[in-house]
Amino acid sequence: MRTLLANRIKCVVALLVSSGAATVLHFAWGRDQDRWDYMTGWTLLALMLVLAAFSARKRLSFLSFFSAAAWLQFHLYAGCFAALLFVIHIQFRWPIGWFEVGLTGFYAVVTVSGIVGIFLSRVFAKRMGARGGDVLFEQVPAIRRRLREEAESLAVGSVEKAESGTLADFYARELHDFFSRHRNSWAHLIELRSPLNNLQEKISELERFLDTDELEILKRIDQLVKQKDGLDYQYTLQWALRLWLFVHIPFTWGLLIWSFAHVVLVYGFSGGVGVD
Amino acid sequence: MSEPLQESTAIDLLSVAQFDVDASSILDEPLTDEQLDQLLKIDPFRDMKEANFPRRSPLRELLRHETRLRRFKRGDLIVRAGDYGESAFMVVSGSLRVVVDEGLPDSLLGRFKPKKKGIFESIAQLWRNSKHPETRSQNELEHGENDELNRAGRTRKGGLKDVGKIIEDHKTVTLRQQGDFVGEIAALSRVPRTATVFVEEPDTLLLEFRWQGLRDLLKFDVGLRGYIDEIYRRNALSTQMRKVPMFDHLDEAQMGKVMEATEFSTYGNYQWSGDYKRMASQGDVRPEQEPVVVEEGEFARGIYLIRSGFARLSKKYGKGRRTLDYLGTGKVHGWDEVVHNWRSPEAPVPYRYSLSAAGYAHVLFVPAAVIEEFVLPTLPEEGFPDLVPIATDRPDEGLPEDGPTDSPRIGADMMEFLAENRFFNGTAAMVINLDRCTGCDDCVRACATTHDNNPRFLRRGPSHGGVMVANACMHCVDPVCLIGCPTGAIHRRVGGGQVVINQTSCIGCNFCANNCPYEAIRMVEVRDRSGALAEDAEKKPIGRATKCDLCVEQHNGPACERACPHSALKRLDLTELDEFAGWLDR
Repeated sequence: MRTLLANRIKCVVALLVSSGAATVLHFAWGRDQDRWDYMTGWTLLALMLVLAAFSARKRLSFLSFFSAAAWLQFHLYAGCFAALLFVIHIQFRWPIGWFEVGLTGFYAVVTVSGIVGIFLSRVFAKRMGARGGDVLFEQVPAIRRRLREEAESLAVGSVEKAESGTLADFYARELHDFFSRHRNSWAHLIELRSPLNNLQEKISELERFLDTDELEILKRIDQLVKQKDGLDYQYTLQWALRLWLFVHIPFTWGLLIWSFAHVVLVYGFSGGVGVD
Repeated sequence: MSEPLQESTAIDLLSVAQFDVDASSILDEPLTDEQLDQLLKIDPFRDMKEANFPRRSPLRELLRHETRLRRFKRGDLIVRAGDYGESAFMVVSGSLRVVVDEGLPDSLLGRFKPKKKGIFESIAQLWRNSKHPETRSQNELEHGENDELNRAGRTRKGGLKDVGKIIEDHKTVTLRQQGDFVGEIAALSRVPRTATVFVEEPDTLLLEFRWQGLRDLLKFDVGLRGYIDEIYRRNALSTQMRKVPMFDHLDEAQMGKVMEATEFSTYGNYQWSGDYKRMASQGDVRPEQEPVVVEEGEFARGIYLIRSGFARLSKKYGKGRRTLDYLGTGKVHGWDEVVHNWRSPEAPVPYRYSLSAAGYAHVLFVPAAVIEEFVLPTLPEEGFPDLVPIATDRPDEGLPEDGPTDSPRIGADMMEFLAENRFFNGTAAMVINLDRCTGCDDCVRACATTHDNNPRFLRRGPSHGGVMVANACMHCVDPVCLIGCPTGAIHRRVGGGQVVINQTSCIGCNFCANNCPYEAIRMVEVRDRSGALAEDAEKKPIGRATKCDLCVEQHNGPACERACPHSALKRLDLTELDEFAGWLDR
């Protein structure tokens, strides 16, 4: 069996077994025990700290704390288990009061953003690869500028070459904005090709008004349009792959702070595990 | 050819030469006319004919510019087993000892265990790394000999202390004949030195050849070529042949017969990177452009064994040739056909595939007649391949889906991609699965953290079928970047064999970066610790070559690979395709 698939199956089995065991333990024994909430709470906090340590591990790649790939696998499956543990910890009920709602909200955002993140990582990487995904994110503005400059010079040059302003007008009307900035993000995110198709239809319609020289120029502009569209596609997907982390990580820190506050409050008001 | 140097000649030579210099220093002065006159009277040069040399590089000028006379003390190390070097040495007077047993201990050879960072040093990188790009210490900015003994091809300062005891304790062979060569195979093939050689007699005089000079001499003088081949046949051929499975059952006598009949040949250009870059820039790196060793369809008159370099196996397909496999050192072509013809003489088959030199290839040819007489009759049954399928007129008939030998699973397109880009040269190529790579740049950041905040690769490069081979040093089997480095700053590291650059001795000449066909070496302008651009005496910015060093100073191997959370990046040995195929098929 393929290595990655075999690993995935092992991890899923481990997750299912541990989740099943925790759920059975809760309903068969835990919920009747006074200390169960403390046990699940402390376990959850420890697990959250380990999950959050993944970020630190990335900065310490030169140390032998397992590879980042192993950490990510643990992060994914332990994260799922932590979500279940959270639900067990709150006794399968809705949160009460602003503090609990806030804590649950943080937890939900972190979990959901994590799930979205791994989904994007798996799906978008493949999509980018399928459309020649070796564009460096940092180089996108420079490439965009180069494409725009070439398209502009072709359009402007056509006036003198063909003694006609048709192409230049078309460029100013339909393409200037397209080449000037990043476009069609939502369409790229959901893999919609209609903006490009619309633009190419307009280019095709223009052909019958042009002479041979202008057609040559238009052909090149058409190529540049496709390149720009591909660049926007890569930019959008890479931007999305970065954006989810800007949600996931700050909310993780918020969750940790809120959780520590929760521990302080629990021990402050209940007297801790020792008090019945 | 080799007769002892006449006493008077040796004295003349020495008196003129005045080589009273430290053994480790490199003489920059060309040979004088008097020295050349003397040299041309001794073996092997006295038998050489001036007429065989072209006018642009006559023998005399070739020797003047490509060789140096060097005097050594007793105990001086000439070459060390395992080192890479670009020089060969010829005995003029005195004697050398070649260690032919398991070798001298590292402590005697002056080797030390390569230093790695400790755990605290590793962690301290987080705050000790420079805030400025490409900073160097004062020591690294000031050129000079440092004590590192890992530099290529240079003999170390000092030498062996108790030579008598070493000779007593180790099996050694003496080289005392004028014209005896050492180090020529390693210099010409960019392979590690196979034995340690040290000086036995005081005031031993050697002629050091740059590999380019030796290459030219061999090119123009058939006698010397035969002589060098004979040395190879005598000293190294048996070892290489024994490594080939079909010969390992032979006894000494049988092996002797096979070796006697073995022919040597070289195809392609030893300094192939320039040609390759030119072809690549023209988009024409096809097998048709490469020097052919043997054509498909020719009568199978023997087997071809790759001694060093690489050869491409291809088959006619349409108007061109399709690459099936590439063969590195120790790989054989033609075995199946020769065996088939011996077993089924009534239905002989020709060579099924063409073999061409990818870059350059030193090739051994063993005639079928010798194989039939000495090898096949004694070959164990399990050593016989299946009979070759009878060829038909269809061009792709008999073409296995995934290549004919041990490269079965990567597919024809991927094979073509690896071959056209010469990636089969890489022992630690950075391969990225684009279907898994999210572009998070964790690999780049990890690389920067372990290299004083300077990433040593670019996450871009040629890609095919969802696989990118990034512009990172591949630590090649045949590191053409080493050719021509004037200070030996770029060298193979002892032990691991990683190609690294000594920042102290690098002079920023750009040779290595120009030679590298993979754009894996970058020239940078360096700064001092304060962040100011460093300048030389003429107020010009100081440049240095930089590249991936495979994190040799770190404990856990390449940081880039360990940092990839999506298992998208792997450092792979592309000289063997099994690992690559396994990675593709995860």
